[in-house]
Amino acid sequence: MLLVCGTAPLKTLPLTEGDARLDGDLLRIGSAEVPCTQGTAALVSAACKTLEYLDQPPPRVLLAGDDGSGKGSRQLYERLIADLPRLAPRVLLLHYMLPIMGLMRRVSESASKAPRRPFMIADAAAMYAAKAAGIAREFDLFTPDLSELAFLADPQATHPAYVSRHLFEWDSSRIPEMVAAAYASGSAARTLVVKGATDHIAQDGRILDTLSEPDVPALEAIGGTGDTISGMVGALVHAGYGEVTAARIAVRANRTAGLYAGATPATRIRQVIEALPRVFADHLDEWARQAQVERAERSAS
Amino acid sequence: MFFKSGKKNGFEGGGLVLFESVEEAMGGERALKAAEIENRLVAPPPELRRGCDLALEINLVEKPAVERALQERKASFLDILPMRGDAELLQVVKVTDFGEAVMVKAGNMKLTFDKASGVVLNISGGGCPDIPYLHAEMLGLPLEQAPRPKALGRTLCALMLDRAYEQSLEIRKNGNG
Repeated sequence: MLLVCGTAPLKTLPLTEGDARLDGDLLRIGSAEVPCTQGTAALVSAACKTLEYLDQPPPRVLLAGDDGSGKGSRQLYERLIADLPRLAPRVLLLHYMLPIMGLMRRVSESASKAPRRPFMIADAAAMYAAKAAGIAREFDLFTPDLSELAFLADPQATHPAYVSRHLFEWDSSRIPEMVAAAYASGSAARTLVVKGATDHIAQDGRILDTLSEPDVPALEAIGGTGDTISGMVGALVHAGYGEVTAARIAVRANRTAGLYAGATPATRIRQVIEALPRVFADHLDEWARQAQVERAERSAS
Repeated sequence: MFFKSGKKNGFEGGGLVLFESVEEAMGGERALKAAEIENRLVAPPPELRRGCDLALEINLVEKPAVERALQERKASFLDILPMRGDAELLQVVKVTDFGEAVMVKAGNMKLTFDKASGVVLNISGGGCPDIPYLHAEMLGLPLEQAPRPKALGRTLCALMLDRAYEQSLEIRKNGNG
């Protein structure tokens, strides 16, 4: 099971658990209907499209309404702490939730009580909580953008708003230094997918790959284009792809979907997501084969 | 040294509200309790002590909500600081010109608006749960009519979005939009 946990901007939405289904602009989870916009809804929608293309079961979703008060987020934490050993997902993807360090520690402890610890992915504020709580190393994969990488590289910061100015001012040419600093201070998951003008994939402190084509600068402005990468990575890992291959495919698919959608700064994320099936049909087999060849070459060298 | 441990219930906030006097600290605690914002009374470490030796530990991420709750209930306080690291919120912003649109980035938040109309086209970045909410409230509205992120939001992500929003208004005012 791929289990996605996050919040939706609907104040009255109670804690909801169910399989997700994308129906036009709406995401249906149990009896809940959530608009496909920036945030966890975009992540789940991209995961739905990916798993559907791969003929896999839909993602399971734990979703709670939260407008920032943290009430829905606390319900999510408590459910995970109580039920993760029973739910035993193969992949656990934690996303938009109020970062609460102590509760995130308990979620990670609970994950270890499952028969097999899930493959743990964190993005958005779930990643902030894991880093701030000092348990980044217990995670398998983080998906930061440049400013969030600066936060991981700053050993003192507990939120990206308090990153040291010099780190924030570093441009993408300094990504290797920031990646090294994040791993050195124990603030990185085993694998990092750094999203940006050039995407970087790092594992165990080493940058394995960079991707910058196709170049669609407007993607940075579109709310949800980082969420879709995380959703695709989670879905691909769940479908059996290795995490580095999954990351390569996800960032390429995101860029190509932006190209297919004719992305401009005014494009909505659902337009990018709608392009994903065509992207997969055109490229997935080729990208997966390339990734296999590259992995074999790396092993040989 | 902490007066009591709140960590049993998972609370570990990373932020401190500092007060001039013990009386003010107690008033602050009452105000946050009334606003249902998690907190606990602690002794601030010597290097952060500004007034009395009693402070409130809060979840630093909720700084805007804490400030608002204290101000609404007229509870005086000196400052809200992170317990470690840089005491100053990021002040710098980066601006990207897309031709017909401008993207303003503050910390982990990006706001993009149309140069001609000033309409908010997109909001990206961030990770706290009020961001998708603000996204839904602000998109499609001219900057001048959009709700202020600081007024609706509760988290540091919302505060960074507010920085981007302020800078966007400034760009519009200066005729560069």
